[in-house]
Amino acid sequence: MGPTVEHLLQTLSTGILVGCLYGLLCVGLAFIFGIMRVINFAQGDFMMLGMYIAVGVTLSFLGFLGASAPFVAALIAGIVMFLLGYLLHLLLISRTTGMRMSTELDSHQSQLILTLGVALFLQNGMLFLVGSAPLAQISSLSYSAWQIPLLYDDVSAVFINKARFLDALAAVLISVCLFALMRYTRMGKSLRAAAEDPEAALYMGIDVDKAHRIAFGLGAAIAGIAGGLIVLYYPAQPYVGLDFIIIMYAGVVLGGMGSVEGAFWGGMTIGLVQQLATLVIPLQLQNAAIFVVFVLILLVRPNGLFGRSVERA
Amino acid sequence: MLKVDHLSVAYGGLTALSDICLEVRAGELVSVVGPNGAGKSTLFKAISGVVRAGSGSVTFEGEDILQTRPFQRAHAGIAHVPEGRHVFPAMSVQENLEMGAYALADARKREELFERIFALFPILAERRRQYAGTLSGGEQQMLAIGRGLASAPKLMMFDEPSMGLAPAVADTIFERIAQLHKEDGMTILLVEQRVAEAMENCDRGYVLQTGRIVMSGTYEELSSDDNVRRAYLGM
Ligand SMILES: Nc1ncnc2c1ncn2[C@@H]1O[C@H](COP(=O)(O)OP(=O)(O)OP(=O)(O)O)[C@@H](O)[C@H]1O
Ligand SMILES: [Mg+2]
Repeated sequence: MGPTVEHLLQTLSTGILVGCLYGLLCVGLAFIFGIMRVINFAQGDFMMLGMYIAVGVTLSFLGFLGASAPFVAALIAGIVMFLLGYLLHLLLISRTTGMRMSTELDSHQSQLILTLGVALFLQNGMLFLVGSAPLAQISSLSYSAWQIPLLYDDVSAVFINKARFLDALAAVLISVCLFALMRYTRMGKSLRAAAEDPEAALYMGIDVDKAHRIAFGLGAAIAGIAGGLIVLYYPAQPYVGLDFIIIMYAGVVLGGMGSVEGAFWGGMTIGLVQQLATLVIPLQLQNAAIFVVFVLILLVRPNGLFGRSVERA
Repeated sequence: MLKVDHLSVAYGGLTALSDICLEVRAGELVSVVGPNGAGKSTLFKAISGVVRAGSGSVTFEGEDILQTRPFQRAHAGIAHVPEGRHVFPAMSVQENLEMGAYALADARKREELFERIFALFPILAERRRQYAGTLSGGEQQMLAIGRGLASAPKLMMFDEPSMGLAPAVADTIFERIAQLHKEDGMTILLVEQRVAEAMENCDRGYVLQTGRIVMSGTYEELSSDDNVRRAYLGM
């Protein structure tokens, strides 16, 4: 006996909601990895910091905001993470990029080691500061849901968790703002130019070093915001980033390197596959399903779902 | 306008330029010719700040630009049209031109310049929405030149604009550069392998060999020199 229609719709809606957040996470990594080609092992830990920051500021001084507090907190986490990412790039990452390195491979190796170090530092630093007990954002939204009746009978219904729905909505809004920023604004275009050809961008008068710092900061900020949103239904602990980092990289590659929009859809695909897989295979194999689909898609479309070739054939 | 004084550049231990002195006055078209590996691109990159100068100075309109950060040199009025074109492949023709105008704050001036660019290279107007990476080599070179022009520069530096182009296309490119010089009064510093064409239109020229300037002078002076005739003009 297969899954019921009710079960299917419930899983599908959860998949879409989770997919929106994965999409946002992937958009964040797209700035750093897809566009700037910096391998950042610490991206999951940026998300983890965002979770703790969001819970921290909610508990300490956002209580008066009521139900909207977690969302304001997520934004604050984003701002803090932007500054942190900007500084981290200025002080450390910039030493492993650009013209100081003779080849891209050279700089990737140093980035790997450097950001792995940052990741370990952040994980163990948080373990030291807050301990390993999981911490969740307490909100009434997390425990309430809208019930959407299915019209084909009187009893079936799909439940939409309020926290997850608002999370997904926020994730989509922020992603759309970022797409617009990259596509239409002078700053967004200069970031793309600085990523595509740093030397030429310099000849245009673009402060390339600063552009790279801003892009890295934005990537960290998005991870922070996403963490602030996710912590509404997924508790934080110092190693929580490890649960998400693979999803982020898979989503960016799936969407097509270099495309921020593609990264969002890559994340969405992974969210959907992860949830829908539970209909047919055991829960423990959820993540295996992601990789099967990942490999299948790349077999058919090596440039990713939305990757396009702009070089002449 | 531009004065390069006793400039030396080394890559690691390898000296690429030594003791270069060169001047471009307002309104001039100055050519630099020389064989592969002579250091022509290195000279341009040192002026733009992509490679660090070892010693010497580069003065642009009275200011020592080696003291400024590289990205500021476009704002000071130098447009570098690099060897190999370097267009932004995943950006449209229009966006490439907008990036060219990055250093130009005045929006009205920008529109004027875009019109001038499209008048010089009508194909760019047709291809406005196309990704620059999908343009042909000649179109990419036109875009690279247009992009340089879009910042309303005081000095344009062209590094081998004819590289890899069919002769007919290269001729168009040379014509346009000469047109920029004559009609717009643009000050130009030009590096070329196609020496005859580069010399033809220039006011003065320099011959660069293994990192040193071995000769300089007007077109008449250079083209009457036996060594230059033999080595570069095939006469
Ligand atoms: N990044 C670099 N690292 C080390 N050596 C370099 C580098 N760039 C150039 N060189 C060396 O400096 C010398 C001058 O190179 P440059 O590119 O300036 O020559 P060029 O005159 O522009 O030649 P071409 O006509 O082939 O473009 C060459 O010997 C080259 O090998
Ligand atoms: Mg060269």
